[in-house]
Amino acid sequence: MSLLKLDAATIKFGGLVAVNAVSFELNKGDLFGLIGPNGAGKTTTFNIVTGVYKPTSGTITFKGRSIGGTPSNKIASLGIARTFQNIRLFKALSVLENVVVGGYLRHNTGLMSALAYLPPSINETNRLKAEAMELLKVVNLAHVADVRSADLSYGMQRRLEIARAMATQPELLLLDEPAAGMNPLEKEELLVMVKKIRDEHGMTVLLIEHDMRFVMNLCEKIVVLDHGEEIASGPPSAIRNDPKVIAAYLGEAV
Amino acid sequence: MKFWLIRLLSVAVAILGCVGLQVAAGSQSDYVQRLLTLAGLYVTLSVSLNLINGITGQFSIGHAAFYQVGAYLGGFLSVRFFHTSGLPPIPWLIVTLIAGAAGAAIAGFVVGLPSLRLKGDYLAIVTLGFGEIIRIQVQNTPALGGSYGMNVEPKITSIAVVWLLAILCIAICRNLLKTATGLSFLAVREDEVASSAMGVNVTRAKVSAFVLGSAFAGGAGALLASFEGFITPATFGMDVSFIILTMVVLGGTGSITGSVVSAIFLSLLPEYLRGLKSASGGPLTLTGATVVAYMVAVVVAVAVIRHVYQDGGRTKINRLLWTFGALIGAVIVQIIASVALNKIGPMHEKQIVINQLRMVIFAVTLIVLMLLRPQGVFAHHEFSWTWLSKLREPKKEVAA
Ligand SMILES: Nc1ncnc2c1ncn2[C@@H]1O[C@H](COP(=O)(O)OP(=O)(O)O)[C@@H](O)[C@H]1O
Ligand SMILES: [Mg+2]
Repeated sequence: MSLLKLDAATIKFGGLVAVNAVSFELNKGDLFGLIGPNGAGKTTTFNIVTGVYKPTSGTITFKGRSIGGTPSNKIASLGIARTFQNIRLFKALSVLENVVVGGYLRHNTGLMSALAYLPPSINETNRLKAEAMELLKVVNLAHVADVRSADLSYGMQRRLEIARAMATQPELLLLDEPAAGMNPLEKEELLVMVKKIRDEHGMTVLLIEHDMRFVMNLCEKIVVLDHGEEIASGPPSAIRNDPKVIAAYLGEAV
Repeated sequence: MKFWLIRLLSVAVAILGCVGLQVAAGSQSDYVQRLLTLAGLYVTLSVSLNLINGITGQFSIGHAAFYQVGAYLGGFLSVRFFHTSGLPPIPWLIVTLIAGAAGAAIAGFVVGLPSLRLKGDYLAIVTLGFGEIIRIQVQNTPALGGSYGMNVEPKITSIAVVWLLAILCIAICRNLLKTATGLSFLAVREDEVASSAMGVNVTRAKVSAFVLGSAFAGGAGALLASFEGFITPATFGMDVSFIILTMVVLGGTGSITGSVVSAIFLSLLPEYLRGLKSASGGPLTLTGATVVAYMVAVVVAVAVIRHVYQDGGRTKINRLLWTFGALIGAVIVQIIASVALNKIGPMHEKQIVINQLRMVIFAVTLIVLMLLRPQGVFAHHEFSWTWLSKLREPKKEVAA
């Protein structure tokens, strides 16, 4: 059974059809790429999957359950986490605290316990901090755990976004242009990291990326959007030679 | 075991401290006792508004409304039920405190839920409107004394209870910030979309903070009613909301320490101004010219300091010297300008009692703050015992 399935998912903003009848399917363990020129509707696809927007029509199914229009926080607890193209860290919080908030949905004590600073709340907080520290090791940020997240370099902020999303312990991880703004060395490390996330942490990954080489090297299956429409899908080798894709990326080497 | 012992001990210290304060104040004048009481109530008000505006990042500008709900509810209960209850004054005071807090919490829920579910600053408009509605409603309710006000019997003064409420409010906010729950509130302040994507129930966090903050304001209101023995709707006007908001912003939105310090400072400032006497013994008055001269001096000082701090190439010592120079310069400018301007007839004749300048001083303080330190005096920082030692630590370098 598929993990995530989009069936003719469509969203309109006024007259603009940002995502037009897009259908694709992810199986558990996939490393899946979503590509397309700027403004193709990739981020918007993430937004309708994660409940930021409600699709105008079509269905989105996660683990057999229809999730179109479900609130974001509910979707996170169902097991979908994401990063943001325009980095949205909790800037004033430390690196560690950002990841703790990611784990907060697995926190099970009430507000009263926190207000009175009672052992259940203290223990839960310590547990989440310890788990957060482990995740920071995975993304190589343990040495800056106490630094304000806004003070990190660009590449580090992107990695922190990944750690924060992983802290929700999702089955499906959506990465929106995780390599944007990274230097070649950082990109190389990221490639290894994303593979590890899939292989060792067992998360299914759907990622948007502009760097073609990065996507072709990493993903096993790719969907290509252009002007909100799906123009191709398949393994990298097929995508690379698809005339429609070449036309969409006119002039760019694919 | 050790945990509970420390907890018990700190509660005991808080109670003893507050009772001690009351005993120490007992030998002081009524005036000093009044100042201590008002300062304690304002600490509660500003720390509780900081929970809403600073920690959770919402924008409530009608905190006085909940102060009023608590005051009238507490006052009304006292008038009706104190004698039949048979309780001694202090336990009764605590009963009205709890009732006032509960009433304000319910009001906070009713007002907060619909406006906080929406994105954007609907809360500001709704809280402002709610404040006015409550005030006008009370004005037109004869059972609550209408615009003449309500006599609250019995009058109960307890500096200890006032400050215990303030300490409880501070403790709860500090506790919250030490837990993951508190971090989720801060996350909501930082970015609602991202918090929600991480599974944080944003509406719930916002409503919880709002209801809790309102409850503390209501509790403070009930204490005010018993303390004053007389309350009118005018006691809870927009200017009071504005003063509480000023306290939070001045201290540094989000900083509990900042809210406490600026609440004490700003609640004592008007009393200090009122106490200033002229040479003849009457209240101190300034001529219009002198006030204008002060304004000119403030503008000069702010302009120079701002310029110095925006120039990244200066050393710390250079900046401090320039700041110092700017302050001295401002004093000189003030003297020269006031001598010169006082020669102008109409400006010399206009007399202003300094106490009337209270709101002007608040406003000028806020403007200066926005220009020189928009993050507030304490910014995000909190007082802690390790703070002093941290001062000497070198700034952490962020390695790539
Ligand atoms: N909230 C919105 N309101 C109106 N238009 C939007 C909104 N979000 C995205 N769009 C539009 O949808 C199109 C697709 O955007 P997006 O999904 O961000 O593209 P990309 O593939 O580069 O991530 C763009 O034309 C964008 O302007
Ligand atoms: Mg995008």
